[in-house]
Amino acid sequence: MKSLKKIASLVLALAFVAIAVFALASCGEAKKVKIGVIVADATGSEALSFRNYYKEYIEKNYNVEFLYSDALTDAEAEKAAIENFITSGCKAIISLASADRPAQIEQCEKAGVYYAVASGVLNDEEYAKYKSYKYYVGAIGPSLDVEYQTGYEMAKAQIAQGKTKFAIYGAGVGYRIDMHVQRTAGMLAALCEDDTTTYGGVSIPGAIIGSLYTDGEVSLSKFQSSKYELVGYHALWNFGDATWQANLASVVAADPEVILCAGTGLSVFGQAVSGTSVKICDIDSFTSDYATAMQNGTVTYLAGKYASSIGPIFAAVLDAVNGHAVKTEAGEALALGQSYWVATSHAQFEKFQSADSVSNPIFNKTLLDTVIGDNVSYTTFKTFVETDRTPE
Amino acid sequence: MDKAKTNDKYSRRQKIISLTPIIGLVLLLALYVVIGLIKDINFKAGFEAIVNQSVILAIVATGAIFIFTLGSFDISLGASTLVSACAGGLIYNATGSVWLMLVACVAVSLIASLISSVLGSIFNLPVFVTTVAMMSVLSAISEMLITGKGGNQIRITGLSGLENIWLKLIVLAIFSALCVFVFEFTKIGRRQKALGGNPVCAKLTGISVKKYAILAFVMAGIGIGLGGFLTAIRASTITSGTAGDIGMNIFIAIVFGGMPISGGPRSRIYAAIIGSFSIKILSQILTMLLAAVPGANGIAQMVRAVFFLAMVYLASINYRTKMLPR
Amino acid sequence: MVSSVKERVRGEVLLTVSDMTKTFGPVTALNNVSMTLRRGDVLGLIGENGSGKSTVSSIIAGMQKADRGEMTFLGEKWDPQSMLDALERGVGMIVQESGTIPGISVAENIFLGELYQFSKFGIVSRKKLNDAANAVLKNIGVENVSGDMPMISLDFQARKLIEIAKVVMKEPEILIVDETTTALSQHGREVLYKIVDRYRSENRAVIFISHDLDEIMEVCDTLTVLRDGNMIRTFEKSEFDPDDIRTSMIGREMQGDYYRSDFVPSWDEDVALNVDNVVVTGHVNGVSLEVHRGEILGIGGLSHCGMHTLGKTMFGAVAPDGGKVTLSDGTEVKNEFVAMKNMLGYVSKDRDNESLILSASVKDNIAIAGMEKYAVNNFLILDGREKKYVDEQIDGLSIKCSSRDQAVQTLSGGNKQKVVFGKWVGRGSEILILDCPTRGVDIGVKQAMYQLMVKLKSEGKSIIMISEELPELMGMSDRLIIMKDGKVTKEFLRSSELSDAEIIKYMI
Repeated sequence: MKSLKKIASLVLALAFVAIAVFALASCGEAKKVKIGVIVADATGSEALSFRNYYKEYIEKNYNVEFLYSDALTDAEAEKAAIENFITSGCKAIISLASADRPAQIEQCEKAGVYYAVASGVLNDEEYAKYKSYKYYVGAIGPSLDVEYQTGYEMAKAQIAQGKTKFAIYGAGVGYRIDMHVQRTAGMLAALCEDDTTTYGGVSIPGAIIGSLYTDGEVSLSKFQSSKYELVGYHALWNFGDATWQANLASVVAADPEVILCAGTGLSVFGQAVSGTSVKICDIDSFTSDYATAMQNGTVTYLAGKYASSIGPIFAAVLDAVNGHAVKTEAGEALALGQSYWVATSHAQFEKFQSADSVSNPIFNKTLLDTVIGDNVSYTTFKTFVETDRTPE
Repeated sequence: MDKAKTNDKYSRRQKIISLTPIIGLVLLLALYVVIGLIKDINFKAGFEAIVNQSVILAIVATGAIFIFTLGSFDISLGASTLVSACAGGLIYNATGSVWLMLVACVAVSLIASLISSVLGSIFNLPVFVTTVAMMSVLSAISEMLITGKGGNQIRITGLSGLENIWLKLIVLAIFSALCVFVFEFTKIGRRQKALGGNPVCAKLTGISVKKYAILAFVMAGIGIGLGGFLTAIRASTITSGTAGDIGMNIFIAIVFGGMPISGGPRSRIYAAIIGSFSIKILSQILTMLLAAVPGANGIAQMVRAVFFLAMVYLASINYRTKMLPR
Repeated sequence: MVSSVKERVRGEVLLTVSDMTKTFGPVTALNNVSMTLRRGDVLGLIGENGSGKSTVSSIIAGMQKADRGEMTFLGEKWDPQSMLDALERGVGMIVQESGTIPGISVAENIFLGELYQFSKFGIVSRKKLNDAANAVLKNIGVENVSGDMPMISLDFQARKLIEIAKVVMKEPEILIVDETTTALSQHGREVLYKIVDRYRSENRAVIFISHDLDEIMEVCDTLTVLRDGNMIRTFEKSEFDPDDIRTSMIGREMQGDYYRSDFVPSWDEDVALNVDNVVVTGHVNGVSLEVHRGEILGIGGLSHCGMHTLGKTMFGAVAPDGGKVTLSDGTEVKNEFVAMKNMLGYVSKDRDNESLILSASVKDNIAIAGMEKYAVNNFLILDGREKKYVDEQIDGLSIKCSSRDQAVQTLSGGNKQKVVFGKWVGRGSEILILDCPTRGVDIGVKQAMYQLMVKLKSEGKSIIMISEELPELMGMSDRLIIMKDGKVTKEFLRSSELSDAEIIKYMI
């Protein structure tokens, strides 16, 4: 009893000492610019590839240090993470978490810390409100137009191949997540270009988008066509829910030629379609999971982000921290679109993958340095971001 | 005869052990400052962050002490806080009145608490059981409230002015003063502790188990309501994940604060506040040390777990008695 | 080994203990205790709580180890590694705490750890097992319990008998009986006494520990008194004298009377509590009685006669299935709350589980029942007033504690009971229901309790004393009601002429 108590005290004391030693050991590094990265996902393959690019490439080539948050699931957690980063002396926050972007922007503005959105954009209303904030650097990522277009082109490509029997996976449409709604609307709009096909009696893109926001789902009964079949619809990620699982199975059982996915299609349908002839078309990122899936033919079409696509926003943030923030001609924050790379074969996929590796990314130091400096114009930056860098 | 002396030593040891949580908090704070100096952190932001992140937990936990004192457990605290925040947010959006929002928050959580405890007493179930059912019900209700108007969130705009540490500290001060008063200076608190210590004995002393279980849930309900109110202000966007970790954190916090897991006469109100601040300071320390380390979150969780077990162990020494055969 | 014993010669030294010392932290439980046990001895160990009598016997039985000192058993060094080890080698102890497992059968409990004896290819033969258990039980004279009964179906006393069987079955050379009889009724005691007699006649030896002075003088041949870990004196049978023994136990002359000195029944005419044809199915079968102000009403019987349940019913803690309990003004005592409000007090037989909050302090335990006496506006509790109230009780009852903040679980049994009394007396209870108030309490405290009861009686309070000990019932009661099978079988008035034999007739 007595000795146990001693052991317990000893363990506690050791823990304290260890922490103190650790702290001492980790000091003495040269002063680096600290940048906090808040993420909604800490373990997914896209999240990891982004993280690797920052931690393994950017940190080695620039005098910066990235601090990463836990996987943040709600607005309060985002707030706490930003507080912690500010405490740690971060000069800027790069956000990959979107539970409450306005709150993040307000918080950083109040604290005098630069804030930027990576891999996404603000909607028009939000941009209008925050574009003139001093510490709001901007957003670089696929715009909502790009999202719509990506969904549209995915469906068009399948039609061109003569596919007529589809299913749709709407991902976050149920939560009315903008990018998923836009992508899904794009898919439906592509199908509706056929004269006999309508969704909810219409075929105008704006109307389709509107009805998706209203319904929060794709309704099979609204889909009318004598050319195409829409045999199933699924959404969200309720893996633990039996009804959700049953619907997943029924979508596959309806035997569509392809499932058009608005995102995360492989992780949702990968298991279910194995051993069937059902193919997945997806919008995600160029990660090893998709490499395998494209090689074995499960995924036939992938519109994806690539790891170093978050390079430009880093450049913009570093400029801002160095006191030379890049602003539009009107002196407003950046809002630039990036498009996806599309792979339709494993060979193409491999080409993309090798073109953007951690050791040799697309947005490498040489390229980034063209927009890091004290005299970078908006036009230069805009061109830099919007140039099509798809590997030939 | 030296028995009296022995017992004096015993009581002194008990006192020292009961001070451990405070000593722990001071040590953690000292460690925070030392590491903060080494790491050159922004102390103003740091202390604000600690207050911001601790207070809501401290308030809900302070109210929950009444339940834990009875040796009972409420698993629906987090879900209840969320529903309360949702209700407050919707009322504020509809009326623009902060006061109505506050009333809504407290009313909703009080109703939820009362349902749990009254159901427990009607059906003669341990209240813990009813809170398990309540948790599902509350989660469903919050889901309905959140998605009710389309979208996956309740966005509250115009309250960011209230998001400051002073409002939080004032609410905490008022509520904890109320709790300390009820707990330490009224018959209610004495009877709560007696019930937690030995329900059979308490019953044979004319104390109604049901009545005091309901009272405990009322106090907890007020705390949840205030916590929900502050959560709504702080988060400003309420989603189904809001306040998700509060339930488990409360348990960890009060144990950190030196509250006996079994409740009873040695329960202390301040355990909630000390514990809440302790775990958040510990988190801050770990964040400072580990933010740039791969696998940091896993390490931080393990460190927290070790501290938790250590505290449970230290707390339990307090209640073990040596075997003294007659 | 037990089996190696060929001949048992009366008077041969079986066990020696020399200079044994044992401390628990700063508490010295045993201080250089030495003793010798010979074949044919039935040695009684007696002393107040904390005197060391259980400590010494538990060390002999292998339950714990001494810090210093030597032991020999059958001429060899004795250092048992566990109770099981000691039992296998010839020293068995029947412990205070219940050591049986409720979820399995009687036979499985008796042969716990030895079921392999009855198994073939891993399958236990129920029949063989139960037959063996029945034989063991029959051997010690227990006939109403059989091996196939689930342990959980047995009452406290029967479980105790199973424990006795488990130990005696091994036929140890030395049998240690530690406070076992407290849990036993007359029948159980007789079973045990027969075993003791057999041990004496077979030239084995028994160490018998008990609080009950009358019993220990009856059963034992010699008596060793321990006090504060020291051996005080050993009495031979011819020297047995209750007063001498008590004096050496408490280390001072007893002041004043032990029981009441008068033999005149007396009470006021006012009825304080009226029990009207109360029925509690399975326990109480139509009991009616009246308790008057200034009366000590004794209720006696065997432990399952229903008197304990009756006590709880009178306090409102058990709802009767028929009949009712009313106060002088006609108020029905429906629950504990009503009882408290009308100044009833209840001291449970199961003190640790029902009358005290063990983890709480002396202060908390005493204060909890008396809040209306010191709370401002019957709501607000101020530290100073509360402490004053508690200190009055601690002083008034001479509760031995280091401070009012000492945890009750660290007190001795007697002082715990004083705390319970303080809780009820302090608030000015008009009617006190005392269920086995002196159970597990040493003589000094017993006397104090008796004196307090006399004082309360003189103040016009009503006392209902439920007890399994006839001497105190006869010594204290104005009226003595005897119960059997849930019914009142006889009422005696206080008299110097009362005899145990006469009373016991109505109990069995």
